[in-house]
Amino acid sequence: MLIELQNVYKIYGEGLESEVRALDGVSLQVDRGEFVAVVGASGSGKSTMMNVLGCLDIPTYGEYYLDGVDVKELTDRQLSHIRNRQIGFIFQGFNLIPALTAQENVELPLIYQGVSASRRKELAREALERVGLGNRGGHRPSEMSGGQQQRVAIARAISVRPPIIMADEPTGALDSHTGREVLGFLQQLNREGSTVILITHDNGIAATARRVVRLSDGKIVEDRAQEVDWL
Amino acid sequence: MKIQQALKMAYKSILGNKGRSALTMLGIIIGIASVMTIVSTVSGMNKKTMEMYEAMGSNKVTVSASLYDGRDVFKDLYDYCLKLGDYVEGVTPNSSFSATVVYGAKNSANMEQAYYGESDPSRPAEMPPTLYFGSDQYGVCNNLTIAKGREISFLDVEQYAQVCVLGAQTAEIFFNYADPVGQIMQVNGMPYTVIGVYAPRGEGDNFSYMDNLMVFPYTTSRTLSPGQTSFSEFSVKARSASAAVEATSRITGFLSGFITEQNGWFWVENQNQYQQSNNEYTTMLSLVLGGIAAISLLVGGIGIMNIMLVTVTERTREIGIRRAIGAQRSSIVAQFLIEAAMLCGIGGIVGILVGTAGSVILSTILIQITVYPPTWVTAAAFALSVALGLLFGSYPAVKAAKLQPVEALRAE
Repeated sequence: MLIELQNVYKIYGEGLESEVRALDGVSLQVDRGEFVAVVGASGSGKSTMMNVLGCLDIPTYGEYYLDGVDVKELTDRQLSHIRNRQIGFIFQGFNLIPALTAQENVELPLIYQGVSASRRKELAREALERVGLGNRGGHRPSEMSGGQQQRVAIARAISVRPPIIMADEPTGALDSHTGREVLGFLQQLNREGSTVILITHDNGIAATARRVVRLSDGKIVEDRAQEVDWL
Repeated sequence: MKIQQALKMAYKSILGNKGRSALTMLGIIIGIASVMTIVSTVSGMNKKTMEMYEAMGSNKVTVSASLYDGRDVFKDLYDYCLKLGDYVEGVTPNSSFSATVVYGAKNSANMEQAYYGESDPSRPAEMPPTLYFGSDQYGVCNNLTIAKGREISFLDVEQYAQVCVLGAQTAEIFFNYADPVGQIMQVNGMPYTVIGVYAPRGEGDNFSYMDNLMVFPYTTSRTLSPGQTSFSEFSVKARSASAAVEATSRITGFLSGFITEQNGWFWVENQNQYQQSNNEYTTMLSLVLGGIAAISLLVGGIGIMNIMLVTVTERTREIGIRRAIGAQRSSIVAQFLIEAAMLCGIGGIVGILVGTAGSVILSTILIQITVYPPTWVTAAAFALSVALGLLFGSYPAVKAAKLQPVEALRAE
């Protein structure tokens, strides 16, 4: 099992009257090569779930095994290492660094991996070409459209060829056409072997995934396989 | 992450905020420039005074002694110093007196009038020489060496010989570039033969007044300065700095044996003490002034810290992104530290340039010599500025690295 959550809680302000249970006893297993959509209304805990799954946050209670390793036992250094090599993030707000060019943004995870400059350039260009931006490497995010920026973000996520792709509302800031384009990329990455976890509030977008996990008030209320709209 | 990459990143970030970076650097620039200017000007000042002391003769003991009944002290002092041969190289009266010196058209009385009276500014007046009574050891005691002719001899002293030795400047004033040795000058109307010329004591123009002198055997005082029965100023040249200390205490002991508060007065002073206290004085001066300048550096450093904290807050999201895609805490610390160090380093370099200009200008105005900051000052200034960057950058850098990735990502 690649991802295994066992009775995971994420509680903010525990013990207070204002206590919030963002994750309230969640158990989930995701196998290698799956395409899972985590669906839920705003406040259902799906972003918290993604933060926990992406090793950006630690559960308050419960176990999270990533590739058989208990994440709770890992140091900050090891978590950084996992985020760097195992997981590619795609965010709703793109989260590119504005001062850097597209090429430099894509190179960033490779820099933290310690890849040599020439190899880095090569890998980054490859990744940009895959998302159809081979000729836009020198542009800064502010000089690009939303769709292009999200494609740069995808290129950054895949530049280190991570086994897991985590996308948090990747189409949220895009129009429907460019949104479909981005989802198409995710499906393609999945077909090539990546495990994809897609967080969304939109059932239409969830229809691109073969498995849908529905969250409500921090609990999983539905977990089903489905036919897929291939894009 | 490689250091080269981090440097490039820091450089970009500094360039990306030109106005703010420049203002932040200003604190460091002013601090470094003022520390450098002060340290190098004071060290230049110290060097100049030391050179002056050197030229005046180091290891010199100044003795002033007088008996109220007018009896001569020198003879006793001279004999005693002969006994101190292990410590003492020479002893001489060092009394100046006034007399009119005439050679050809040159007349010291006229020079005096022109020099101290109202002079024509278009034609700088010649300075009249200072006249001294001295022994055969006058040159040794005052760090003077003979360039031409010979020194006053013991026999000259014994025989009241009407001879004199000229300072380099005096020779030039009276004889232009002709050879003065063997020439006869009129001193208070009496003929005195020039027997020698001293070599210039100082280099350049700075010390020329110290070379404008004439030395006469002290025994000629009975005709040149009638009525003067004794001398009260003496110079003793010791063989070394430690010998000067020893000679000072021995001569003090000797004089106190026959001069009491009732019959006269005396004091003995080691010139090296002046050098020492001058050294202490300039060290203190540079510490005090340097300390004041260091405060401005501190303020500059706090400015750096402040700006780096603002930068961290402003770039919280960027830190979150970097952490999310795998940056270690140490990489974040390195990034901000290097940025602060580079900011300060660039400020330091500009400060060094300003400080060098400052030392040149200030030293030219204050002490009339051009002082370039010593290499160690320049190197230390640069090291200091980078160290300041590391010191004041570390708190913001650690603060940046402590941010949880999720929280950092949530920042707007």
